[in-house]
This record gives sequence, C-alpha cells and structure tokens, in this order.
Amino acid sequence: MKKIIFIIPVLFLAIACEKDISVDLPTPASKVVVDGYVENGLPPYLILSRNSGYFQPVDSGSINNNAEKGAVVIVNDGFARDTMVEVDTIINGYKISGIYIATKMFGIAGRNYSLNISTTKGELLSASTKLQVAVPLDSLWFKIQENKDSLGFIWANLNDPDTLGNCYRWFAKRITKDPFFIAPFGSVFEDKFINGKKFDFAYNRGSIQNSTAEDDNNLESGFFKKGDTVIVKFCAIDHSTFEFWRDAENQLGNNGSPFAVPSNVKSNIKGGLGIWASYNASLDTIYIPR
Amino acid sequence: MKQFLVLLLVIAISISSAYSQNSKVNRYTFSGYVKDSTSGEFLLGSSVYIKEIQKGTTTNAYGFFSLTLDEGTYTIITAYIGYYEQQFALRLDKDISQNILLIPKVFVTKEVLITAKKADRNVQSTDMGKVEVDVDQIKKLPALLGEVDILKAIQLLPGVQAAGEGNSGFYVRGGGPDQNLILLDEGTVYNASHLFGFFSIFNSDAVKNITLTKGGIPAQYGGRLASVLDITMKEGNNQKFHAQGGIGYIASRLTLEGPLVKNKSSFMISARRTFVDLFLREPFIKPGSPADGNSYYFYDLNGKLNYTLSQRDRIFISGYLGRDVFNFKSRDTGFKVKIPWGNSTVSTRWNHLFSDKLFVNSSLIFSDYKFEFGASQQDFEFKIFSGIRDYTAKVDFNWFPNILHNVKFGVNYIYHRFTPTNASARSAEVVFDLGKVTRFYAHDAAVYLNDEWDITEKLRVNAGLRGTMFEHVGPFTRYVQDPSFQGKFTDTIQYAQGEKVKMYMHAEPRLSVRYTLTTTSSVKAAFTQNYQYIHLASFGSVSLPTDVWVPSTDLVKPQFGREYSIGYFRNFHDNTYETSVELYYKQMENQIEYREGATPDQDVKNNPDNNFVFGKGWSYGAEFFIKKSKGKFNGWIGYTLAYTKRKFPDLNNGETYSAKYDRRHDASLVLTYDRNAKWTFGAVWVYATGDALTLPAEKYFISAGPPVTVDANGNASLNNNFNILSGYGKRNDYRQKPFHRLDLSATLHVLKKKRWQSEWVFSVYNFYGRQNPYFIYFNVDGNSTDGTLKVQAKQVSLFSVIPSVTYNFKF
Repeated sequence: MKKIIFIIPVLFLAIACEKDISVDLPTPASKVVVDGYVENGLPPYLILSRNSGYFQPVDSGSINNNAEKGAVVIVNDGFARDTMVEVDTIINGYKISGIYIATKMFGIAGRNYSLNISTTKGELLSASTKLQVAVPLDSLWFKIQENKDSLGFIWANLNDPDTLGNCYRWFAKRITKDPFFIAPFGSVFEDKFINGKKFDFAYNRGSIQNSTAEDDNNLESGFFKKGDTVIVKFCAIDHSTFEFWRDAENQLGNNGSPFAVPSNVKSNIKGGLGIWASYNASLDTIYIPR
Repeated sequence: MKQFLVLLLVIAISISSAYSQNSKVNRYTFSGYVKDSTSGEFLLGSSVYIKEIQKGTTTNAYGFFSLTLDEGTYTIITAYIGYYEQQFALRLDKDISQNILLIPKVFVTKEVLITAKKADRNVQSTDMGKVEVDVDQIKKLPALLGEVDILKAIQLLPGVQAAGEGNSGFYVRGGGPDQNLILLDEGTVYNASHLFGFFSIFNSDAVKNITLTKGGIPAQYGGRLASVLDITMKEGNNQKFHAQGGIGYIASRLTLEGPLVKNKSSFMISARRTFVDLFLREPFIKPGSPADGNSYYFYDLNGKLNYTLSQRDRIFISGYLGRDVFNFKSRDTGFKVKIPWGNSTVSTRWNHLFSDKLFVNSSLIFSDYKFEFGASQQDFEFKIFSGIRDYTAKVDFNWFPNILHNVKFGVNYIYHRFTPTNASARSAEVVFDLGKVTRFYAHDAAVYLNDEWDITEKLRVNAGLRGTMFEHVGPFTRYVQDPSFQGKFTDTIQYAQGEKVKMYMHAEPRLSVRYTLTTTSSVKAAFTQNYQYIHLASFGSVSLPTDVWVPSTDLVKPQFGREYSIGYFRNFHDNTYETSVELYYKQMENQIEYREGATPDQDVKNNPDNNFVFGKGWSYGAEFFIKKSKGKFNGWIGYTLAYTKRKFPDLNNGETYSAKYDRRHDASLVLTYDRNAKWTFGAVWVYATGDALTLPAEKYFISAGPPVTVDANGNASLNNNFNILSGYGKRNDYRQKPFHRLDLSATLHVLKKKRWQSEWVFSVYNFYGRQNPYFIYFNVDGNSTDGTLKVQAKQVSLFSVIPSVTYNFKF
C-alpha cells in the first residue's frame, strides 16, 4: 500500500527536485528506551538506552548510543523475582553497555513477565508481556516468481487457532549468507481477519539496515534463490509486540511521505519508550534445490 | 421551528405593509429571462436595474427576474460580467414578460463600444464573501501544464487557500476540505479532483458560471460549514451548432453544442481525457525504470439537454461522469494494482412559472462517488472500496412580491448511502473474514425561508432560517468498542432496515445586512449558523481518494459552525476599481480526526467512527481585495491575514495546535492584459506562509529483532541490526518555508477564417523557478556502530519552471 502511494506521483517525480535543508527542532525531554526480549527457553534480557535529539550525532564505537547504566531491573514471571545483571562487555568487536540479563529464569510459554526498572536518576518504568504458546507453520515451500528464473519467495501454510488475538512475526536466515535472522518489511500480522482459518501466504527476503551486500543491491534483492538453505523463525507474539512493530514498520516505511500522518509508535512501556517483547519461535529449515 | 414561523410572520407583515402603502397606484410586473444574444444561454446572476428608482434585482439561478413596480416609464439597465450593458426604456402599464438579450464582449469589434454606467453590485448587494468568477477570464490566466483549472482560480481569491503545490483542493476561512459544498448543476460533487488533487474535475469548456460563497451563506444552501461553490454547466447554443476543443500537455478536450429545435431546445456534450498513459509504456519508458508498469488516465464527460416547453416551463437534464484509473503491474513480483475512482451526477430539473412573480424549480438529483483499490499477487487478492451515494429531491420557490422583496423558500430531501472503507481479501480459495459490508443510511431533510428585503433606501437585509433534520437509520451494525483495548468489541447492536439509530434536528438562522454609506460605499455584516451532518475522515495529511465520508451517528455529533463577518466595500473611479475589507470570526464544534496511530485496516470489520476523536476549531482573519474589471488591464490583488486553530482533548496532549493550512499570510496578484485582437497576456503571483508540519523531535534505537544470538556452544554474538525510530514533537509545530510563485501566459488569437477560430496558449508555471517545499523527509546514512550515522533533512520540490503550450479551437 505504502509503495503504491509513492508510485502514484511518479508522473511528477520525474520533474521533482530535492535539496538538503537544515531544520531547527526543539530538544526533546530525556526518556529511557527499553529494548527487551522474553524468548522461549532463553533468559529474559534487555538493552536500556536513552533517546536523543533527532539530528544529534551518534558516538562511534557504541552500538546503543546513550546506554543507560546502573539501573535496577527486576523481572517477575509470577513464580520468581529476578534482579537482572548488567553486562558491560565487548562482543565481536562491539562495546556493549546497558545490557541487562536475568540469571534465574527462562522464558516459559503462558507466563506473564512483568518488568520494573528504576534508573539512577530515579525514573520508574514498568511493562509486562505474556509469552505466547508457539504456533508452528503447517508447511513451507519455495516458489519461483513468474519470469524470475531462479528467484522466488518462501510460501507457508498457517492454521490459525480458533481463539481471536493471535499475533505473529516472521524471520528468516539463509545459512552461510545471513549472519542472523532478519525480519522482512511487514513482518508482523494478527488474526483479526483470519481467525481460525487455514491459508497460504508468502514472504519476500528481508535485509539488514543499510545493507551493502551485493544481493541486497542487485536484482536478487528481496528474493530467495535456488540453492539457498533457509531457516524460518515463525514467532507467536503478544498483542503489544504486534502493535509496536506494526507502528514501527509503518513509521519506517512512511518517512516523509506527504500522504502519511506522522505518528508515534505504540509502546507497552509505562514511563518510557520501546518494547518489552515476547517471542515463542518455531523453527523450520527449507532447502531450495538448485 | 418556532423561529421559522416567526420569520414567516415578519416577512408576511412587511410584504403586506409594502403593498398597502401605495395601494392607490397601479402596479405591474416586468419579468423574463436574461440571455446571451448569440447562444441563447441563460445568464444567471445578471443585474436588472431601474435607473429612476435606483433599485433592481439579479436574475436567479435560472436567469429569471421579476420586478413589480408602479405604473410608469422606466430605464432598464441590464449588466453581466463579460457582456456589454444594455439600457432601454420600458413603458410599464401592464404586466410585461420579456426576455433581455445581452451581447458578449468577444463578439463586438473594438469600434462599437457600448458604454453605460456599470451597476455597482458589490457595494449594493447584501452578499458578503460571495464571488462570481468569470470563466473567460480564468482561461486567460496561466495554468499548470496548460490545463485550465477552475478550482485553482478560486484559490486566488482572498479567504480561499490552496491545499498545496499544484493542488486543486481549497480551504475557505479555516474550514476543512469537507466543509465546502461543491455543486455541479445542483448535484453534490464529493471529490472534485483528479490525480490526487492535481487537477479539478471541472472541464472549463463545459462550464458557464461559477459562484463561490465563503461567508454569509443564504438559507437556501445548507449542509456545509465553510462555503458553497456553485457551478453551472452550459446549456448549449440554441441558435447554431458549435464545436470547441483543445489539445494540451495533460488532456485533450472536445465540446459540441447546438440547437435541437431552434430557440427551444439545445444540447451540450463535452469530453476530456488525459493521454499520458499512451507514453507510459515502451518505447517511451524503459523496462525497470521507476515509471515502468504504471499507467494512469482520467476522463470527464459532461452533458446537458434543455427544452423550453413554454414561456412558463423549461426542463433541464444534465449529467457528469468522471473517472480516474491508476494501474500498476510490477514486472518483478507480479504484483498488480488497479485503482479506479470518480464521481457521477445526474440532475433533472423543471422550471415552472406559476405567475410572473412566482418561480419554482423542482429537481431530482443523483450523485455518486466511489473509490476502489484492488491488488493481487499470484494467488493473493485484496480489495478496498468506499463511496457515497445521494438521491435528492427538492423544490425551490422564488417569489418576487414587490421590488422591496426577493423571497426564497423550499424543501429539500436527500437519502444518503455511505460506504466507508470496506475490504475483501482471499488467498487462493481461502476467503479472509473482513466482516460484512458496512454501510450507513440516512435521511437528510431541510426546509428554508429567506427574504432579501430593502427596509429603507440605505438598509437592506437578507434574513433566513433553515430547519434541518438528519436521521441515521438501519440497516446498521454497531460494533461496541472495548474502551481499554483498541479494536476489541464487547457487543454488536443490530438495527433493522429503516430503524432509527439517531436523529438530529436543528435550526440555522442566517442574517446579512447592508447599509449604504454613499453611492459608492457600504458596510455589510453577516451571521451564519450551520450544521453539517456529514464528515470526511482522512488518514493522510492531504485529501486523498481514500478519505472516507461518514454521517453523523450516535457517536459522531453534527458539525456545528457559527460565523460572524463584517466588511467595508468601496468602489472608485466610476466603479473601475472595486475594493473591500472583510473581517471574520468562525467557530466550529464537533470536528473529527482519526485518533493517533489509526490505520485504514482498523476501519475494516468495524465502524470507522470507533476510531475517531473529537474536538473543536476556530479561525479568524482579515481579507483585503482590490479588483479592476474595466479596460485592457484587468485583475485583482487579494491579501488574507488568517489564524486557524484546532483543539482536541485526545490529540497533541489536549493542547491547541495550528491547523495544517493555518496560513498567516496569503496573497495573490492576478493580471490580464488584452493587448490587441491578437495577443492577451496573463500573470499570477502567489505568496503563502508555509504549511504547518509535525516533525520528529527525538530518535531512539530498537533492534530489528532479538539482538543477541547464542550459538550451540553458549557463545553470545550481537546482531548488529538496529532501527532508528522517531518520536514526533508537537502537532503542526514546524513551519515549512514560505511558498511563492509567478506564472505567466500569453494567448495568441489566430485570425478568424470563416467560422474557424483558434488560439495558442503559451504558459510558464513557476517562472523564476522557486523551489517551493512539497514535503520534507529524513535521510539516514551510515551506521550507528562506527559513528558515521547521519540524519539529513531533505526538502522535495515538485515543480520547477514548467513551460507548456495548448492549442484551442472553436467553430
């Protein structure tokens, strides 16, 4: 839909021109950003950082600019309470600050994980997420696009459970080609219109932000290819995680579109920004013969 | 209703007293139609003036006038823009029914100049904020890509603002785009533009008359808060067959008109179509280029028939059909889109004269607007559709009891069918459950009475009252929303066909007063109270065909508006220069917006009004206008100082914010110069304060997926893939750079050969190449990890210098 809207003024864009301008924006109030995950079988963890002015430059060497250190982070799954441990380390060359990891619990489906954070400045944040029961895909296959020779999308069949409120997120990773799981644009969906249905759907291949990889910048961009071995990570997510990514993807896709209304991303964090997300993944591997 | 009866009584008493004052003298009625001498077209809004008593009237929407005077001999002066004034003596010793024929200026050679004192109508009428626009003058002005556009000419008037660069949408005195009532031969047009606003749907060759009322709206009009744009199609020449057409960059036009039965009946048919789609394909477009796979066209068809049954009865049938069709097919992915949308209207009208003093028009009108979006990719299909359909029946009386009164009264009924966003989707054989088609049905009725009354020599009052009733009826399914969980419902309520869901009844008093200071100056004041029972909900920041019309419901209260205005009007140099200053203040209640973060899919399997938030707006400003309408140099200067504010408890933290189109300064300069029989020149310069925009104030980083991967050996690695999300600042807190532009045009009239007449119109849009802001976006470059990340604001300008050539012909 968004792409279409961009395509429509194509008649005029041929004659349009653009220039750099400087924009004076007021300095925003400082807020804490939570980027937290509860995954099945893994200890809950999160990255704490702060927002910054829109044009404010980002320090080098810091993966999460404005890391928020020294906060007290407590997670409670209804059975136990765990104060997360702050990690300040270097992993594969990147300095990591503001990572907090639980040490006494793992993600278990059906449990509600409530989060309480107090920062050194005295700010209080809270959130909660319920780890959903996994909904595995029924089947997966590769299908070549018309006139596309060796390129195509991955198709899947999903049998949505009969209860309303299921939400999903799709990731995929090509073994040897991708360093980790990548979500394509439009990676989340809910069952509002498909509740209890069994149906086929397809996903294109996502890419890393600002990817410089050759196959993200040529005709193969967005496609899987004959010869790829792909792991699909299909996650059951809670409704707030769905809303967050629906809005986030909308915002990223709409950037500056004259036809879109600017809107903020809906967060489940009380007292801050970001998302306290839960993912229950089902993994499937699909080998695409040459 | 009580107010209505009181008003009726007052008018009856005043009229009877006017009768009784001079009951000894015989009174007779002079009535008829004012027509174009060459084509037989009825001229509406022309003035018929009695020199001796310095009083007069104007022809009504069908060109009819009626004057009841004491027995005597009078000098009748008839005038109309674009025509030579006519003056003749009339011996009134019996009722006289006679048509007046006016000669259009273009048909008279320079030597035969008829000069007469022009009626100073702008000073003498009670009309405030009412502007008639001369179609012939619009055609002399420069136009974007040579496509003459009525709505863009309207935007050059003070108090009227353009919706944006190249956009034909307009805002009147701080009102929203849904608050303009646009009528084409009395049929409501709901979306008056093609190509997402770049061109209006009105083919200027088919249009006879344009009147914009931006304040002091009289009681015969209702249903919108801000303005009435009344457009009348040509009836067609009832003397001779004519053809007219043109070829431009964007579209080609052809209009045919002529008599069916000479002097009795005529037809007009007009068509316009774009042809860029013929070039949006090979060999003009290379495979893989950005425009590849796109196709777009729009077309308009206008038709009108009229038949004069007798001097007392006339019938008009007119219709409009317009469609935009956008197609896209991706070569790569097989993704296909088809988006057709457009309006159609059909009006059937019957004019009848009960007597020389009582004119009645009865109309049956059909109006429809629909939008469709269909997408498919292999087995997957998706469709969205929306629209609005009206069936209207109305009877309007116009009574001319004596020269002091012009009374209008009537009834009006509309049956609305609203189709807000509905969708269907399927993947192969699996049909997705997008709910039943939701529609809203409503009865919309009004009764009105309006009297324009000369109380004294100096004081004229135009008073009216409109009573309105709006009822939302079934079939209807109300989804009762869970207040804590957006999109979740606690209940659904079913209403049977015709069952009342909600009814509203309101009284709308209207008043405008003119007090004459001197023969060339007057002050005027107006008060208008309006209810609007239909609402436009827009997701975008500009008007798009995806915008959805919804009625007032149990959740959405009718829009309510009150406008106060006052003005000073003065003419100079024998009415060569018309000047005016008008001040207005307007308040608007029950305004709607989508709540923050709403997306079109949330309207599906839901009632769209569940996603609305409600607030109020107000605007005030001053309009300055200087117009020269005589001589070789014609044109005007308009300047508006305006403030337009909105306040919604659920938006912008409940704080007041500027409307997007809150333009502090808005100025336009319009000039035309008829150099000689061969050349005509036109120039337009516009200046406007930049649009108010909401920009991001903050950014923050969120990993695009789980940021840590733990391998089989328990080693953690970081997934360096972060998204930059933004948090928006205060609503419409940022101002774009001001907008200004100069357009020039030159028209070369090729000398007439027998009946064939032609002209070349050369025009340059944005002559000095001003890079006006169209939108701003942010480019994020580099990587957050290595310190190269840079966010850069970029301003996109749509149109630089655009020359164009159009060829027009007539025979």
